Amino acid sequence: MSSATPGNSLEQILTSARLLVLSGSGGVGKTTSSAALAVYAAQRGRRVLVLTIDPARRLLQALGLQGNNPDEKPAANVAHPVLPKLAEHLPGGVVAGGSLDAMMLDASTGAIAMFERLLPDPSQRDQVLNNRIHRAFLPTLQASPDYIALELIYELAQGKQYDLLVLDTPPMHNALDFLRAGNTLASFINERVLKWFSKVPLPGSKPKSGILGWFGAGSSMAMGVLGKLFGSDALPDIAQFFVAFQDVLPRLKERALATDAMLRHPSTQFLIVTAPGETSLREARHLHEQLRGHGISVAGFVVNRVLQVPEALHGGGDTSDLRKRLDKLGLHGEHLDRVVNQLAEAARRLEHLRTSDSGQFDALRKLAGRQGFCSAVPQREGDIHQLAQLRELAQAIVDGVTTGVVP
Amino acid sequence: MTSALHAQSASPEVGVRAVAALLAHEVLLVTGKGGVGKSTVAQALARRASAEGKKVLLIELEAVSRAAPLLGLAKPGPHPQRAAHNLDLAVMDTMDSLRYFATKQLRIEALVNLALRNRAVEGFFGAVPAVKPILFLYHIWQILEEHGPRGDKKYDLLVCDLPTSGFVQGMYQIPRTLQLTFRGGPVHHYAQGMGDLLRDAKRCGLVLVTLPEEMPVVETLELQAILKKEHGVEPAAVVVNGVFSDALDPRDLHDLAQKVDQPTPDAQAVEDALAIERAVAAPEAKNLADLASWLWAAELLAGRRRRAETLLPRLTSSVPGRVLTLPFLFRRIMPLEAIDQLANALGQEVA
Repeated sequence: MSSATPGNSLEQILTSARLLVLSGSGGVGKTTSSAALAVYAAQRGRRVLVLTIDPARRLLQALGLQGNNPDEKPAANVAHPVLPKLAEHLPGGVVAGGSLDAMMLDASTGAIAMFERLLPDPSQRDQVLNNRIHRAFLPTLQASPDYIALELIYELAQGKQYDLLVLDTPPMHNALDFLRAGNTLASFINERVLKWFSKVPLPGSKPKSGILGWFGAGSSMAMGVLGKLFGSDALPDIAQFFVAFQDVLPRLKERALATDAMLRHPSTQFLIVTAPGETSLREARHLHEQLRGHGISVAGFVVNRVLQVPEALHGGGDTSDLRKRLDKLGLHGEHLDRVVNQLAEAARRLEHLRTSDSGQFDALRKLAGRQGFCSAVPQREGDIHQLAQLRELAQAIVDGVTTGVVP
Repeated sequence: MTSALHAQSASPEVGVRAVAALLAHEVLLVTGKGGVGKSTVAQALARRASAEGKKVLLIELEAVSRAAPLLGLAKPGPHPQRAAHNLDLAVMDTMDSLRYFATKQLRIEALVNLALRNRAVEGFFGAVPAVKPILFLYHIWQILEEHGPRGDKKYDLLVCDLPTSGFVQGMYQIPRTLQLTFRGGPVHHYAQGMGDLLRDAKRCGLVLVTLPEEMPVVETLELQAILKKEHGVEPAAVVVNGVFSDALDPRDLHDLAQKVDQPTPDAQAVEDALAIERAVAAPEAKNLADLASWLWAAELLAGRRRRAETLLPRLTSSVPGRVLTLPFLFRRIMPLEAIDQLANALGQEVA
């Protein structure tokens, strides 16, 4: 790769940003990269919290958060200190003051905590939490923990406990929902909606004229439609769900605006993590476009698992030279032919991947532009299961940085 | 090329039978962790089935269609489009499925438009996360119930390229949740139908896609265990994508490595050798370093293949007879011809 940046913008981000968001499609090594960069910043003396959605067991092991029992996962939505391990396992020690905590985000328990913060009155809170609709869907919230997670992050960002939050976002098709989460929630539960629903008789209360009278009275079109879709007997529960939100609404809206501002603040930086492959590149482009459309600039790209091939094999290698060398080693005739052909084939295949990777990297540099950067992280064989390996990976990410170029 | 793995695989008839059984389903739900090649496998299954004469609909749920550029469709959408002989493609998001649902229920187009323009309705469906798998499930369930003009089925097989495993777990959970939440009425009725479809192993097959690497294999086994325990679902197949074959005959590699006196050359060894070469510039060191590069390439491929060989038994003991492998094609870009190469390879190697 050509000229490295003076000062290395990624290193600057790691020492000065307050919130670092890593986005990307699934399976590109986003969670591992997040943990690695968090270790790096902590070693530099910052108080770091890394927030992940669904860490693999190996990564938990690397962070020292996984005991011997594989079914035992560390408690969610709680910061777990990694520091004792950090100091023990990192060559070169840790700059004074540096610390690392890790938190696993879980939306279903997070939802309860969120309502506890937003609804201090226990009876109001119970109304939301015990609603049949809400309870039915609470477990499935886990599939898309967007707004719960964002709310929690906002809470943490307000506190003074950490210098840097590193956020590993859910895979791509959720990442944009994730950023819009605050706004979506606010528009979901807006005043007009609440007004409609507040006309539905609540369970237990005596309906003045029943569901039919309520339709006849020319009430909300929405209720008529929802009644047709779900059956009118389910309406009171749906209505109660919305009504219970009435008091949460102003606070939710305030939060939505505040989290949005947090994501656009200059101390928040976005990285897009990707890996070689046409699909990953296309999705990285798409994500880049979407983030920009959302008014968020992307600091740079991290391309994981870039295949590195020894220079001797670039262009397929010199097979006649190979033949001579093997001949010197005592390989002859048909045996020699076979070995030469097979080695040449292996080199040719890997070289094909390497040139493809390097072409993709160049395309991303153009996308990053002069303001951005790209980091090519060499492929490594085997899983990461030690803290020192995470630190090595972080070094590889920082070392792999080159500037973007003018398209 | 004949690989060691190929030589060890079960007889060809076993593979042919396994693929035939898989494609005999009415719906295949294809899922797996991100980056394992879920979409590639879904596409290969769809191509194989359509090549065998089945009428196939490939359904994608991603914001960016992966199959459309391959199949030459410029504007894919929620309405199935003819992409190739016997193969249609539909790309849908939540709002598309909502429109479909509303049209089925309300029947009058004007009412549908009115309903979907309503912020309350849109807000309700857009913001509740569980709604996505519900509406999708409803959508495919209804497509299956649709019949052509002569009363025959529109499609023999729906291949669904699903998001990650969380979505799938949600899908299996949903019918039960809905039935508990809505004790009567239309939703209760749909939930019954959707639940029956998901539970019917003859009609609906779950395909778990993974890679021959430790983490994806462990996570596949975990997902398989959860689905079995919580929903009584067994995968119809586990497809191990990207299995490396040897570049060099293992005996040749071993022999050569011993000759170069580097039993297991790796990237570091190459670096070391190159460093020595630069330092002393001796001809012997150069000979060694250059050979080490070649060996590195062969060893890299052999190492991947060996890892696959040690991992596959863990899958086969959990899902006996239903583990299919696909070869690594050494390409980062997968044009249609590569997908077809994989479609043909399906069942050739059964672990």
